[in-house]
Amino acid sequence: MNKMTDIDQKKCHPMVGVPIEKLRPKQVRKNLELTLWESLYIFEIIRGMYITTRHFVLNMIGFVFKPKGQKRRIFTVYYPEEKVTIPAAYRGRPVLVTWKNGKEKCVACGLCEKICPANAIMIVAEERDGSDRYPSAYTLDMSRCVYCGYCEEVCPKEAIVMSAEYQGLAERDRSKMIYSKEQLLRSEESVKDRIEYIRRIYSKCSY
Amino acid sequence: MQLLIFYILAFGAVISALLMVTSKKPVSSAMSLIATMVFLAGLYVLLDAHLIAALQLIVYAGAIMVLFLFVIMLLNVDEKEGRMAGNTILLQFGAILAIGLVFIMMVSLVKSGGTLLVFGEGADQFGTTKAVGKLLFTEYLLPFEIASVLLLAAIVGAVILAKRRIDDPDQKERIIPGHKG
Amino acid sequence: MLADMIESIAKILFIFGMNIGFFAPVLGWVERKQSAVMQDRIGANRADIFGFTVIGLFHSIADAIKVLTKEDFIPTGANKFFHTAAPFISLVPAIVTFCVIPFGGRYTLFGHDVNLVISDLDVGLLFIFAFSSLATYGAVLGGWSSNNNWSLIGGLRASAQMLSYEVAMGLTIIGVLMVYGSLKLTEIGVMQENFFRWGIFMQPLGFVLFLTCAIAENKRAPFDVPEAESEIVAGYFTEYSGMKFVMFWMGEFLEIVTISGIVTTLFFGAWHLPFITDQMLLSFFQFAGSNGASILAMLVNIATFFIKVIFFIWMQMTIRWTLPRFRYDQVMKLCWKMILPLSLINIFITGLVFLR
Repeated sequence: MNKMTDIDQKKCHPMVGVPIEKLRPKQVRKNLELTLWESLYIFEIIRGMYITTRHFVLNMIGFVFKPKGQKRRIFTVYYPEEKVTIPAAYRGRPVLVTWKNGKEKCVACGLCEKICPANAIMIVAEERDGSDRYPSAYTLDMSRCVYCGYCEEVCPKEAIVMSAEYQGLAERDRSKMIYSKEQLLRSEESVKDRIEYIRRIYSKCSY
Repeated sequence: MQLLIFYILAFGAVISALLMVTSKKPVSSAMSLIATMVFLAGLYVLLDAHLIAALQLIVYAGAIMVLFLFVIMLLNVDEKEGRMAGNTILLQFGAILAIGLVFIMMVSLVKSGGTLLVFGEGADQFGTTKAVGKLLFTEYLLPFEIASVLLLAAIVGAVILAKRRIDDPDQKERIIPGHKG
Repeated sequence: MLADMIESIAKILFIFGMNIGFFAPVLGWVERKQSAVMQDRIGANRADIFGFTVIGLFHSIADAIKVLTKEDFIPTGANKFFHTAAPFISLVPAIVTFCVIPFGGRYTLFGHDVNLVISDLDVGLLFIFAFSSLATYGAVLGGWSSNNNWSLIGGLRASAQMLSYEVAMGLTIIGVLMVYGSLKLTEIGVMQENFFRWGIFMQPLGFVLFLTCAIAENKRAPFDVPEAESEIVAGYFTEYSGMKFVMFWMGEFLEIVTISGIVTTLFFGAWHLPFITDQMLLSFFQFAGSNGASILAMLVNIATFFIKVIFFIWMQMTIRWTLPRFRYDQVMKLCWKMILPLSLINIFITGLVFLR
């Protein structure tokens, strides 16, 4: 069998991102009729105000005496200085995955070009050494891309994936948004999470 | 000083009343009427009837005129629908009535010797809430109670008019499953 | 005569400074920051002067600059006169109503009698109702004159809601009037010198009902259906920008302060500290001479009053950021089917207990 990837294969549950032991039905109160206590409103309002006030007081204490080594309660991030870790399910800029030697995995089959709903991809295929197909030009028009992720879904070679890159997607000049193959090449290690993730969601684990 | 304020308020009341009659847009008319009410409340304050002034603002300017505006806005009446002004007979009738009223007022003013305006006398006697309340519940108890019975009848009538008929199958309240209240 | 003039001018300046100079800008900051802290967020903290952010307080200044330099936009087809007049109509009552609320008692300073209320009207409470009812027109006219369907719906909702809650609010307060037998807010304040005569102990139900009605009258969440941003864009002030928008906004904040003032005066002992009478306060400060004692007692009373007011502002903010919005029919049902009968029952019980 031809080697598909440098990443180790791992058994995954096809359910998206949820471990099996956590897949339990949540208890939802479907009976919308209020009890007498609740229909009095006032005590329930006081209960709600107690919850918000508790958060308020605890956070105020946290603001003044900054806790050390504890998990912080405030999840907001000071954006340019701090950045959140993007989850694997995030669809950022589509990139081309390379082998370790720096050659792209893409075999220029043209499936992504075909499925792209926004016609953002343009491929020129060529043969290398008379046998290997490869794209001599792979143009991705980021001003047309809608980040749907169809290209990575159809790709038989895991050659194009949606990376976690979310910065630098906007330009003042449209001509700068047309990316060539060289600008899109990324090593397999840098998009490892996403590759593992798409194996799960698209059931590509059978490769 | 008081006379100056009186003249300002009186002119304001008269001008806004004129505006109410002459303006073509219903909302402008209603707003002019509210302005008249506010100026009249100012005149009451000048005459030391603070309670009446406050009630004028709450009841007339605050409640009744909001309802007027509500209805005007809900129906979205345009200026094209104001055709009453073309009715000459009604116009003449109204003019005669207005002139007659002004005449009666002038006569009473002349007869009283021009001393209808009295400022700041007996303020504690009749203007306060206590004094008005006492008057209402002793000397004018019967008219007061009759007025309240009349209002009660009006409320009951309004409720009956607005109420849905229970036996009418078309008018039954739509029940949304899962929702209550 | 001159002393009277100085006294009134000082009082007016104090209240105006307090309301427009302190409460209105600071409440804008409080609303952002408090909601942020409550919801485990950080909140506004970016505006800085030379690197100092003062936990986001400079955002008020930044807002003021932004708003003053913004275009004053009037949409096509709008009624220009009413579109301009509406913010004023909603702001002026909010400023004026505070002038009958006493922020301190009576003191003798240098042989001059000082009464810490701008205007001690005989019909004080009714005056507040009268002017708050006039504030309805700001919302209604703003909605109507914008030539925008969302605004019109917002204006209609505002008119119906405020009209209904005005009626209910008038009835909720009658219990308090029966207990203290006066419409004068200063007299009501004086009568609450004894801790157990505070309005909250006399009229607990009246307090809850009044606070509910007052928040609904102010059109804030959970009663913000006239400006429900998830349904009708921004309701009656959709088409407002720049200074006019801020006037609606300031009117809302000043009304919060006024409501807190009324609640403090009627139900929470006005300017009195619990268990401490004015006489005790004066004798406590006797070391500073008679004038000094009066001044110190006055400062303590003013501080007490404003601390209570700030507490109720905080409470209203907490309610606003805790509860979800009512549906419109629920708002109406709450008014006519719950608050109105309950306030009538409250009046009845009060009558049975106090009038005998």
